[in-house]
Amino acid sequence: MVRRFTRRDFLGGAALAAASPIFEVKPLRGIDFILQNSPTPQKYLIETMPGGVALFDYNNDGLLDIFLVNGGKIANTLHVPENFDRAAPRYWNRLYRQNRDGSFSDVTEAAGLAHAGNANYGMGVAVGDYDNDGYPDLFVTSYGKNILYHNNGDGTFTDVAAKAGVAGGGWSVSAGFFDYDNDGHLDLFVTRYMEWDADHSKICGGDWHTYCPPAAFPATTCLLYRNRGDGTFEDVSERSGIAAKKGRALGVAFADYDGDGFTDIFVSNDGMQQYLFHNNGDGTFKECALDSGAGLTSDGKGLSGMGIVFQDYDNDGRPDVIVTELPRELYGLYHNDGGGAFSYQSLETGLGTLTSGSSGWGVGLEDFDNDGWKDLFVAQSHVLDNVQQIDASLRYKELPLLALNHNGRFERADSGVITPLAARGAAFGDINNDGWMDVVLSTLGGPPVLLLNRGGSTNRWLSLTLRGTRSNRDGYGARVRVNGQTREATSSGSYVCASDKRLHFGLGSAEKASVEILWPSGRKQVLNDVRGNQFLEVREPEKP
Amino acid sequence: MIQLLLFAWFAAQAANSSAAEHMRAGLQARQQHQADVEIEEFRKATELDPNLADAFVNLGAAHMEKHDYGAAIAPLKRALELSPDLPAAHQFLGYALLAQGYAAEAIPHLERVGAQDALGIAQIETGQLTEAVANFSAVLAKRPGDPDLLYYLGHASGLLSKNAIDTLLAAHPDSARAHQALAENYFVLRQMPQAEKEYQEALRLRPELPGLHLELGQVYASSAQWPKAEDQFRTETKLQPGSAEAAYRLGSALLQQGKPREARAELERSNQLKPEMPETLYSLGKAASLDGDSAAAEQAWTKVIDLEKETSLAAQSHFGLAALYRKQGKTTQAQHELQEFQKLQGAIGPPRSE
Repeated sequence: MVRRFTRRDFLGGAALAAASPIFEVKPLRGIDFILQNSPTPQKYLIETMPGGVALFDYNNDGLLDIFLVNGGKIANTLHVPENFDRAAPRYWNRLYRQNRDGSFSDVTEAAGLAHAGNANYGMGVAVGDYDNDGYPDLFVTSYGKNILYHNNGDGTFTDVAAKAGVAGGGWSVSAGFFDYDNDGHLDLFVTRYMEWDADHSKICGGDWHTYCPPAAFPATTCLLYRNRGDGTFEDVSERSGIAAKKGRALGVAFADYDGDGFTDIFVSNDGMQQYLFHNNGDGTFKECALDSGAGLTSDGKGLSGMGIVFQDYDNDGRPDVIVTELPRELYGLYHNDGGGAFSYQSLETGLGTLTSGSSGWGVGLEDFDNDGWKDLFVAQSHVLDNVQQIDASLRYKELPLLALNHNGRFERADSGVITPLAARGAAFGDINNDGWMDVVLSTLGGPPVLLLNRGGSTNRWLSLTLRGTRSNRDGYGARVRVNGQTREATSSGSYVCASDKRLHFGLGSAEKASVEILWPSGRKQVLNDVRGNQFLEVREPEKP
Repeated sequence: MIQLLLFAWFAAQAANSSAAEHMRAGLQARQQHQADVEIEEFRKATELDPNLADAFVNLGAAHMEKHDYGAAIAPLKRALELSPDLPAAHQFLGYALLAQGYAAEAIPHLERVGAQDALGIAQIETGQLTEAVANFSAVLAKRPGDPDLLYYLGHASGLLSKNAIDTLLAAHPDSARAHQALAENYFVLRQMPQAEKEYQEALRLRPELPGLHLELGQVYASSAQWPKAEDQFRTETKLQPGSAEAAYRLGSALLQQGKPREARAELERSNQLKPEMPETLYSLGKAASLDGDSAAAEQAWTKVIDLEKETSLAAQSHFGLAALYRKQGKTTQAQHELQEFQKLQGAIGPPRSE
């Protein structure tokens, strides 16, 4: 006899379904920003690359604000030198302050961030309190000159790039603050993509008339700036060994992968080997991706590395790497085996079937369902806007990828997005302070998209804000362990974005947490019986 | 070739001593690479003795030396009128006619001297494709690897194939084979939706036809639709349990989905059906490695390196071994394999992405 399907069965099924995180795609109230990438028939590669999103609390009111990087105006045929007219308000970068009701107010002009100056086509953003004054500062990357905006603490910013010596040049993409020499002052790393200018631009694809692959242009070097602690930086790219390696760098992420107490750098390169710069602890770095097993696929092939995340996905306490790619390549997952070695585990972890047909940009490992395992989120879209004509199985606009982590294996889940997007940046943070991690995406030619996590389970969480004293004030570079999970403290990673610096941990059903913080200064701090479901600021003990 | 045709003794036997002198002068000019003098001397010899076949052959040969094939045809034809069995005259005339586009006329002359390579070219021109393929294959057996012969064999085979397919499409446009042929064409053109549609129609008409599921699986595999590819390859392995390729493709699709144990079973079966295929062994190594069987992975990749010295598969196997040894903490061996990988990369270029 067939058992009757009861209402209880139905409700049981519904409850199971509701256990998945549910993002609600919400309009960002008060945000009227459109990312102006200004596509041209000339297929300038820069058009495909912006734009950054930063989630940070610029006025320390406890609410995340949003900074959005804009591209710029591109004339159909660029003039040399390129102008990229940024004077018109539609081409400005924008700062939106979050209000108590969850809406946003455009404070760009009031903050002194209007008109980033001509000759800069915007790319990405990094956030860090480089002068340890308690207010987060902004670093904006561009094709052209980069800008360091000092946060004056009164709601305004000042462009100090020239004085600080970090304007750089060329085609900068992602950037990140970190403290490579553990002196308590945040240093700055900037990826640069390639040697490109309008005079040497090319169109590829024959009759398809499309953007060229990266190998069509010469490789270039990344930039490393050491913070002198007096408001200025020293370009140590050469001295540190970073400039010894030319690449086509797009993303950057930081973590101390070998546990030697010094933060290392992983750079995602497009169409070639990836770079892992091991921090030697003496101000120099050694590129060791190939020797470590994190440079190529398991078949020894290069990767179209774009976005990157450097966090521990399998809760073994060691930071792993995920690099997003183009279709026909799998997103590269490099498992940190310990002892300085990585192994390519895209197939083992389920990324093979999830990612082989997609193009990934911004990427994050965040515990979206608060079950104690970091899930994967990727902003997706092909580089070529006419890719479907070239290969009918591919699409320019794609849905983002949400893959839930089940004991180290990823399985696709509904991201809640139903309209494919030309997404690029992805920044992660708890926008509405409800204990569930949200996502903000940037989209080419479109508005930012907020994926508001509505939770859906009774799982608990803990959000930690680090307050360094001997270490840098943001605590970047600290390794934080909570109930068997580990996070590297950083706002960097993803692609051209800066995420909420607060460290979010899902606790599952645990009511309390034990917290262990290894600060960049070397101090170890342990907190026991920490209550769940709270935002907690942890101050680094000044005395050992 | 022409240098071999020094008909000196014919000249010595010439009835007309003056013609013989011009023959000698012509041969001397040939040795001194004075083509115009050579032509003039042989022409005078033919004028002085219009029945001297050898003079006409040499005149034709001299024109051919100057690549003036049109001018060579008349004296060579006259030589054959005078002496129909002269092999050199047949050969030169066959070449000259072929060079001038008179392929049908060239064929009997080329057949007469057994010039199979030129004959094959003439047969392509006249649409005798089966005969052309046979001739090129025969010459290739004697001159293996000859690039011109390989090209012409490929060209003739392609045309033969096209003819057959055109006939199929014209005569049986609604047959399963016609849809299969169209699908294969779309696949080559990377028009996958059309290829998929045609394969499905072919399968609807003849679901039992061997190879169809395999090919449809490859359409799905090319666009990374691995579960669909797996289904098709699995069906093919049921239809053709003895097909090493079907087992290999199924194993690869399973591998791509992170199912190493199932993949290994299929790849091992493929390896038993057709042993020592480097591609199968390489994938077998990957599957074994994923499955945690380092010894089997090492064995498979080492075998690939034994079989393939300087190919991208050999490079990839060195790379796989490097990862394997690194994981086992065998740093020196890992370093050695990485160096071998890099050495091969330097020699053959980096492995390309899919």
